[in-house]
Amino acid sequence: MPKRTLDPLPSAAFQILLALVGEDLHGYAIMRQVAEQTDGRIRLGPGTLYSSIRSLLENGLIEELDAREDADSGDERRRYYRLTSAGRKLASAEAHRLADVLRVARAKKILRGRYV
Amino acid sequence: MSEKIYAFFLRLYPDHFRQEYGDEALQLFRDRARDERGFFSRLRLWMDLLFDLTVSLPREYFHFPAPRAVTSAPQPVRGIPSFHVLQNEPLRPGALLSGGVLSLVALTTCWLSLISVVGPYHPAVRPPQGSSSSESSSPSRSFQPNQGDSASTSGRYAVPGGNLDPVERKRILAATISNLKEHYVDRDAAQKMASALAAHESHGDYDAVADRAAFAVLLTQQMHEINPDRHLTFEYFQDPLPPQPPAQPTGVSPQYRDAMKQQNCTFEKVELLPHNIGYLKFNSFPDPEVCRVEAMAAMTYVNHADVVIFDLRDNRGGSPEMVQLLGAYLFDHPEYWYNPREATSAQSWTQSPVPGSDLAGKPIFILTSSRTISGAEQFSYNLKMLKRATLVGETTGGAAHAGVFHRLDDHFGIGIPEVKSINPYSDNDWAETGVAPDVQISAPNALDAALKLARARLAKK
Repeated sequence: MPKRTLDPLPSAAFQILLALVGEDLHGYAIMRQVAEQTDGRIRLGPGTLYSSIRSLLENGLIEELDAREDADSGDERRRYYRLTSAGRKLASAEAHRLADVLRVARAKKILRGRYV
Repeated sequence: MSEKIYAFFLRLYPDHFRQEYGDEALQLFRDRARDERGFFSRLRLWMDLLFDLTVSLPREYFHFPAPRAVTSAPQPVRGIPSFHVLQNEPLRPGALLSGGVLSLVALTTCWLSLISVVGPYHPAVRPPQGSSSSESSSPSRSFQPNQGDSASTSGRYAVPGGNLDPVERKRILAATISNLKEHYVDRDAAQKMASALAAHESHGDYDAVADRAAFAVLLTQQMHEINPDRHLTFEYFQDPLPPQPPAQPTGVSPQYRDAMKQQNCTFEKVELLPHNIGYLKFNSFPDPEVCRVEAMAAMTYVNHADVVIFDLRDNRGGSPEMVQLLGAYLFDHPEYWYNPREATSAQSWTQSPVPGSDLAGKPIFILTSSRTISGAEQFSYNLKMLKRATLVGETTGGAAHAGVFHRLDDHFGIGIPEVKSINPYSDNDWAETGVAPDVQISAPNALDAALKLARARLAKK
């Protein structure tokens, strides 16, 4: 199966990479983390979430860990995902790219309100 | 329910996605459904899911086209036509559309032709087989499931039954009253019911009832108003009841013996699955006189399993002795075993412990479906009530077959309980209502669900 290209990095995939910075999470925890870090604006549905996870796995940006029980629910074994060093690099590069965009936007004074 | 709907949506995804992430997607849905309660949260959840479907479905089909399995396809032998199934080939929208339209047309045509030939649909009503009764009162245990599918014999179905003339009605009522008084276990209640039916008749309450099936429903209702015993049923049978066969010698018939031999005593699968899970699928509870050895062999085979799954999804019941015999393996001390057909006695306790049985205390799962009836319901009911098994699947058929059947004429019969059995759990058992599962899931998915639960149980150990 051909790999799905992640250039440009889709927003969902970038959010997943950010969610995995610092901790390994399973699918539902990733979804909750993304919702939290975007103030509820992005709630990843199962199709988008797992489609993105597969692309990230295929591109070596995240890795799958052995299934284990969820600390919260206790009784369900779940697949956990971890950010790889390539994933961290890409997330960092994407963040810098967005920061550059932001700088331009700021210079053009198109940002209003309390943003950044 | 909502999970089933989402599971249906998941089927729209291509195979490769479902195989890889189907379970996870369903789990995520379950998690969200658990955490997001209330009307608005649920509405948002479904909006999210529908949006997700519209975005991710096309991407799955068009961005991830599955490779054609050209190299792995077996080459056809020259001259012999063959089919290839390209399982991962995405369906073209045109094919989906034309398939949908064609299916609709075919279904509508089928339905219209059925309507025009047989009239509106009604559940089939079959008489009990092998009824061995005389014209008015001889009893037979014709509700025994191994004599045929009798789940659909109940008079509760309103099947148009043709006209009931006053002479027949009078005759049937008289036969009903005399059978009740003669055979019903509770003489006082029998007298009260008989008086009530006679009073209804003298008040002319039946004069307006011309339909036979409606008459059967009405009579059952009126008896239950006086005495709510669901094992007592007045039944109408659309097809004529078989005439009484010659009295059969007691014991097992040679035909039954032969049939059991050919069908391996209806034990369809006896297996040890991965994780040391024992799995037994058997489709009746055969008479121990014929099948004791086979039943014991099956139980011995799974004796050292860590969990045992009894698959009763196609089990139509049979011998109460076999039901109790198998149940006995699961306890290390005698347990009261409720049997609506037999009066409570010293035999109402299981012969536990069974020497050599290692199954007492092991987790037990029972798979049920709406086709699970009679003895299979007795097995499920007792183990559920004793909190000895987890039932996974659908609510069972609700056929207790506790009454002794009395043929009244070619179309009417009455099932009369003749013994008093103590039900320590409730006034009603599974008659009419069925046994509700602990984990409700459609029958085809019950095995997977039970395996998952079994593995989770084992992981906790």
